[in-house]
Amino acid sequence: MSVRVLNPNAEVLNKSAALHMTINAAKGLQDVLKSNLGPKGTIKMLVGGSGDIKLTKDGNTLLKEMQIQNPTAIMIARTAVAQDDISGDGTTCTVIFIGELMKQSERCIDEGMHPRVLVDGFEIAKRATLQFLDTFKTPVVMGDEPDNEILKMVARTTLRTKLYEGLADQLTDIVVNSVLCIRKPEEPIDLFMVEIMHMRHKFDVDTRLVEGLVLDHGSRHPDMKRRAENCHILTCNVSLEYEKSEINAGFFYSNAEQREAMVTAERRSVDERVQKIIELKNKVCAGNDNSFVIINQKGIDPPSLDLLAREGIIALRRAKRRNMERLVLACGGEAVNSVDDLTPESLGWAGLVYEHVLGEEKYTFVEQVKNPHSCTILIKGPNDHTIAQIKDAVRDGLRSVKNTLEDECVVLGAGAFEVAARQHLINEVKKTVQGRAQLGVEAFANALLVVPKTLAENAGLDTQDVIISLTSEHDKGNVVGLNLQDGEPIDPLLAGIFDNYSVKRQLINSGPVIASQLLLVDEVIRAGRNMRKPT
Amino acid sequence: MVGMSMQPYGIQSMLKEGYRHLSGLDEAVIKNIEACKELSTITRTSLGPNGMNKMVINHLDKLFVTSDAGTIVNELEIQHPAAKLLVLAAKAQQEEIGDGANLVISFAGELLQNAEELIRMGLHPSEIISGYTKAINKTVEILEQLVESGSQTMDVRNKDEVISRMRAAVASKQFGQEEIICSLVADACIQVCPKNPTNFNVDNVRVAKLLGGGLHNSCIVRGMVMKSDAVGSIKRMEKAKVAVFAGGVDTNATETKGTVLIHSAEQLENYAKTEEAKVEELIKAVAESGAKVIVSGGSIGEMALHFCERYKIMVLKISSKFELRRFCRTAGAVAHLKLSRPSPDDLGYVDSISVEEIGGVTVTIARNEEGGNSISTVVLRGSTDSILDDLERAVDDGVNTYKAMCRDSRIVPGAAATEIELAQRLKEYANAEIGLDKYAITKYAESFEFVPKTLADNAGLNAMEIIAALYTGHGSGNAKLGIDLEEGACKDVSETKVWDLFATKLFALKYASDAACTVLRVDQIIMAKPAGGPRRDAAAAAGAGAEED
Repeated sequence: MSVRVLNPNAEVLNKSAALHMTINAAKGLQDVLKSNLGPKGTIKMLVGGSGDIKLTKDGNTLLKEMQIQNPTAIMIARTAVAQDDISGDGTTCTVIFIGELMKQSERCIDEGMHPRVLVDGFEIAKRATLQFLDTFKTPVVMGDEPDNEILKMVARTTLRTKLYEGLADQLTDIVVNSVLCIRKPEEPIDLFMVEIMHMRHKFDVDTRLVEGLVLDHGSRHPDMKRRAENCHILTCNVSLEYEKSEINAGFFYSNAEQREAMVTAERRSVDERVQKIIELKNKVCAGNDNSFVIINQKGIDPPSLDLLAREGIIALRRAKRRNMERLVLACGGEAVNSVDDLTPESLGWAGLVYEHVLGEEKYTFVEQVKNPHSCTILIKGPNDHTIAQIKDAVRDGLRSVKNTLEDECVVLGAGAFEVAARQHLINEVKKTVQGRAQLGVEAFANALLVVPKTLAENAGLDTQDVIISLTSEHDKGNVVGLNLQDGEPIDPLLAGIFDNYSVKRQLINSGPVIASQLLLVDEVIRAGRNMRKPT
Repeated sequence: MVGMSMQPYGIQSMLKEGYRHLSGLDEAVIKNIEACKELSTITRTSLGPNGMNKMVINHLDKLFVTSDAGTIVNELEIQHPAAKLLVLAAKAQQEEIGDGANLVISFAGELLQNAEELIRMGLHPSEIISGYTKAINKTVEILEQLVESGSQTMDVRNKDEVISRMRAAVASKQFGQEEIICSLVADACIQVCPKNPTNFNVDNVRVAKLLGGGLHNSCIVRGMVMKSDAVGSIKRMEKAKVAVFAGGVDTNATETKGTVLIHSAEQLENYAKTEEAKVEELIKAVAESGAKVIVSGGSIGEMALHFCERYKIMVLKISSKFELRRFCRTAGAVAHLKLSRPSPDDLGYVDSISVEEIGGVTVTIARNEEGGNSISTVVLRGSTDSILDDLERAVDDGVNTYKAMCRDSRIVPGAAATEIELAQRLKEYANAEIGLDKYAITKYAESFEFVPKTLADNAGLNAMEIIAALYTGHGSGNAKLGIDLEEGACKDVSETKVWDLFATKLFALKYASDAACTVLRVDQIIMAKPAGGPRRDAAAAAGAGAEED
């Protein structure tokens, strides 16, 4: 080049160099995430800058925590994150599927094929696979009474890929029950209504579902009761503390009596509000030994707390905004914004309210509620990394149950779908395609096999044997998946291994798109660094 | 990062600079195991009554001389991620039970060491994990069978029963002095044990460390010992009622800024008088309610103090909120926010409250022998700070053990008797097992041998002989045969009276197995560039071994 067009610090890669860089990056990322896939996948340990430890098997978490710099890898990682945003699962699948597509393409390109032709083939194959997916899925009717068994199987399939078996099975019930708890007919499921609270306590298997709410703070008065039964719950957003006036005010007094008067006057409005609540308490609790609990989003200052404590009222201040919404759903009643029109109807009900102290931390349990529409998954674990791991898994489990309820169908898992789709593409679709795009379809079909292959690899099985036995079963017309214990084909229907329809659909939709884009890149330019900044 | 054209293949090229990526058996698993082993060799020599003390100097140059594993690992600031997993397990044990941290680390280290052998034999970590998981499940089962019959129920107020359960835990920290400490701790705990023993709160047993004297001068105070002086000149009060004010003893002030408006000199004079009258009125009201002692959580006004003196009221200041709450519990008082006339119900009572000087430190001692008191204090005496610190840790362990026994009073034989029995029964179980798990379970069983081995080693006995003798004894059906470290022979623990709490053992073994399995499960480590100053950087670059500070 006689004249430099670009900034001398810029880097340019073109033609095959660019292509190979993208392919290498995709394969590299695939290599990292590969060992995560499936119930037999291994755990990765991430050590943060300050030495904090995170253990994970979740592709999404891994991608988020690793700070990737390679441009191609970033693109793939973003696709995977999008996959997680939409369906909550399948990030690892996405990454290895893209990687495998690139790997298959590399072979074809090395043989002299033009990427464009491959991309055409991908497009055809993608459409055919999506159509096939619609015929392949197993519809499930999710009326008012959803089939618990199916939901549990789906949740179990997801959870077992994130946690070890015993814990996953236990969480399965928790996750399914919590989603069913917050589900309201005719309304979309809002997973936000499941509170996820953690306590560093005991073992991971002590994780449980609380029908009600767990708040991570306690009362701030030493004389308040720690435990109360049959409680009326007042959910409110009323300030019960003295607030300074907006304008700059000052008191003038000329003797101590006057000052005393000022002191009382100052507190009067707050005291009145507290008094109104106490009146309500006396109204509902007269003649029975019910208790009264106030959960306030705003503050309650010590004098008010003192007044309430003397009346035997439990008061919690500065509750989280999100918990106010959940409290109303869990206990009933309504959130009150002013104490002027308090009625017994606005009160909620909980059978048991108690405080649990763990070292310095206080937790308040609101339990035994009637007809809850919000619940809490209380995660316990001996240390932070266990808790984080369970938390991620629970999130994915909840999503999978929700997806099933919304999709009203599931897809057979354990690699069965991938093998079936591959056979469909090779045996049927490929023949209908004209010209060189056939090779693209073939590459796509073979790339699908990466899922059963990786599953087998992680379980320490021989990949070739597994693929051959699976495909031959499929050719005989049996839909089978892979049994990871012995490497034999099994019927996923009987084993109860189901994947989400939306996860697979998203996977097949987004994977080829990103792969096609990457294949069509023929030049990579990185802009020159800013000259003024010393690097 | 290097230019894109020179991209090396693989993950390393995709990460930010400074990231490190370790994967595979050799690079990750074995390295992790080595690190954990190193850590456990540090703590191991501190196991048991004859365990060695460690001298640890932490990053603040504070010196610790202790054999308490919880403290040692805390102060070591472990950097290696895998070793840190063990430390976290030990901390969990410390928080949950308060004792047995050493067992967690040492046992996990032993498990991992044996796992390494298995890996070198050619077993895959996942097979070891499945074997270990089976083994721990079986261990829990066996452990439940080993529970000493009749120990399910106990009288938590019976000093002898309490001491028998506490002795082993305390002896492992302060061998030779366990009788004195146990008796102190048991007394203190029994005094404050609430009606429902499961609600026992460790916070109710306080420790006051006073330099000077010796352990024999230590005593129990039913009430509180505060390291502060009384505010006024009255230093002693007997059988007095107490009024507690959380907000301070002074004139009431408005939240909004107040200004005194004075027009003439006369008013100025009068103002001071009205102030005085007001304060006097308040103090008088308190005095009339019968209170002889005022405890304030905040500042005490000069004028208020003056009137208190005049009305012969003793004034104390406790600025810590928690300390004040404890005082309320001691005296059975209800804290008032502001200075006002307290109602008779809110007043507390103390038998005596006095300012004393012990070993050159002025302390205020509040005693209350009455039923309402729920606080007791162990006053520890010792010649140096580090001895006192170590004594305090032993007392803490004892108190925690008391808490644990209040919840679950079951006991198992101590002095390595349980471990050998577990090892033996697990080996039988392993023999019945088919498949590769068998090897892992056998190794798990063998791991238990480290307990008698270490106990014997630390006591200077011949470990091999002891273990052999133990096995023979247990083989012939004596499940309670343990080591008598003083005589260096094997003895039935029902004679030597060494018992461990079931809960301690259960949690320790479970946490240890969990941690070991977690370490084995990891096959890739991705480390971010360590943040912070150059010192940490250098430490991280030094790499795998546990950093010994």
